Amino acid sequence: MVAIDPTILTDIILIGLSGTLICLAVHFIPVGGAPAAMAQATGIGTGTVELAAGSGLVGLITSSYMYAYEPNASMLLVMAAGALGASMMLASTMLAGGLIYAYGVAVPFASAQVKKDPITGERQDIYVSKGTQGQGIPTICYVSGVVGSGLGGAGGGLIYYVLMQYYTPFFSTSAAAIAGVFTMGVFYVNSVIPSYGVGGTIEGVHDPKFRRVVPKDVFTSIIVSMLCGIVAILIAGGMTP
Amino acid sequence: MSEIKEIPPTQLMIFGIIAGLVGIYLTYLLPLAVGRNGGGIALALKTIAPAFGALGAICAVIWGADAVRRVAKYGLGTGVPSIGQIALGMGIIAAMFGLAITKTMPIAGPVLAVVTASIIGFVIGWFAQHVIKMKIPVMIRCMTEIAASGAIIIIGFSAAVAGNYDFVNNIIPRVFDTGVILFIFWVGAVAMLHPFNACLGPDERQKRMLYLAGSTGASTMAIVGLAAIMTLGASGVFTMLLGIVLWLIFYKKFWDEVYNDASSVVGTGLIPKTEA
Repeated sequence: MVAIDPTILTDIILIGLSGTLICLAVHFIPVGGAPAAMAQATGIGTGTVELAAGSGLVGLITSSYMYAYEPNASMLLVMAAGALGASMMLASTMLAGGLIYAYGVAVPFASAQVKKDPITGERQDIYVSKGTQGQGIPTICYVSGVVGSGLGGAGGGLIYYVLMQYYTPFFSTSAAAIAGVFTMGVFYVNSVIPSYGVGGTIEGVHDPKFRRVVPKDVFTSIIVSMLCGIVAILIAGGMTP
Repeated sequence: MSEIKEIPPTQLMIFGIIAGLVGIYLTYLLPLAVGRNGGGIALALKTIAPAFGALGAICAVIWGADAVRRVAKYGLGTGVPSIGQIALGMGIIAAMFGLAITKTMPIAGPVLAVVTASIIGFVIGWFAQHVIKMKIPVMIRCMTEIAASGAIIIIGFSAAVAGNYDFVNNIIPRVFDTGVILFIFWVGAVAMLHPFNACLGPDERQKRMLYLAGSTGASTMAIVGLAAIMTLGASGVFTMLLGIVLWLIFYKKFWDEVYNDASSVVGTGLIPKTEA
């Protein structure tokens, strides 16, 4: 169909990179799953996919807004808008969750994976209730979550930006819908893959699990995202009359 | 549970693929077949044609729910919803690709979408099994199946809203621009993941789960019909009413199964006293 030219190759690699950013983001977000919902594990009390996709989709909205109202926006600006939106979404989720954990459930925030919080230096282990995996969202988890969702939002913004370059000539006004829906598909694929890797729960960047699972998840994600990138660019190829 | 006869996976797979694709193709071929003559029957056939897309999608929902059941039985660690979401994520990528790239030969679109979805599903399943090391023996096969059924669900319900599966002329203005695609994505995923998520447990049985899958698929069809009233008018009314009727039938069947299974729980008596 189309000969491999360097621009297309770069774009495929960019889509692969953005999928990898999303995959990496999931590892940063403190996901506690069902145990955290009962304040028996550190993190936010819902699944990996819900958090990553939720923050990522808000990032997609902010980055597409940037793209729509600033036509000359550079790639970095679109990515930054995505990162900002996603981080705000997750930060407010964690803040609201933290308020409920602190004043509703009344648990001290403590991580079971590290002895001292790497940021504040506070002892953690003495506050962990017996028989639990920590409770609430300690400082390191909060910071890790904000950084992670920023990466995810930037990744979503990057795919959107690349796809818009391809689709605008063929679909004009509908390009945003098509690029957005495609980005959403890539987002879900890339947030489920790492959630299988981490096995449902992870505390954030300080979790020993982080180092163990990141390489294989990122490798999987880069291959799958590049496959999606090829498919996405072929869609535009199929439209050429 | 071994004494209860279950429908084999291959049979459900063939049912899902064939019935799903036939339904999707009817939305395109039925108006073509009666195209020239404009009698009352022809008009009626044209009106009901889009509903077949949704019927095909229900078959794919039933197949997909069974595939979800087989893989999620092993315990994914992330909950059943994650697999429904990845299914529709893969499905939507493949569906857009398959329908968009065959602009000159639309007849090949849905088949190409299913094949692409299977390839993406196979790749993800292979990586999940051999790189992430999930140790689920049916992972590769089920991932392939749920991706393919996801693609059929997306195309089927989209065709019911758009009239047929022509990507550029129908699906983009009627499904993408109106935002109905987001609804199809989400509710399609829930239709597929909910049956097993709701039924799982030690007393889970395939028959009950399949009826629930039919009911979630049909309720999705009813709401898709509501969206189709906006885009197609009379066809949407037909889709919605048929969806409601099917939903009631399947839900009644599911209800009966629940009662049937509940009545077959046998009392085992009190825990025997162990003092010697």
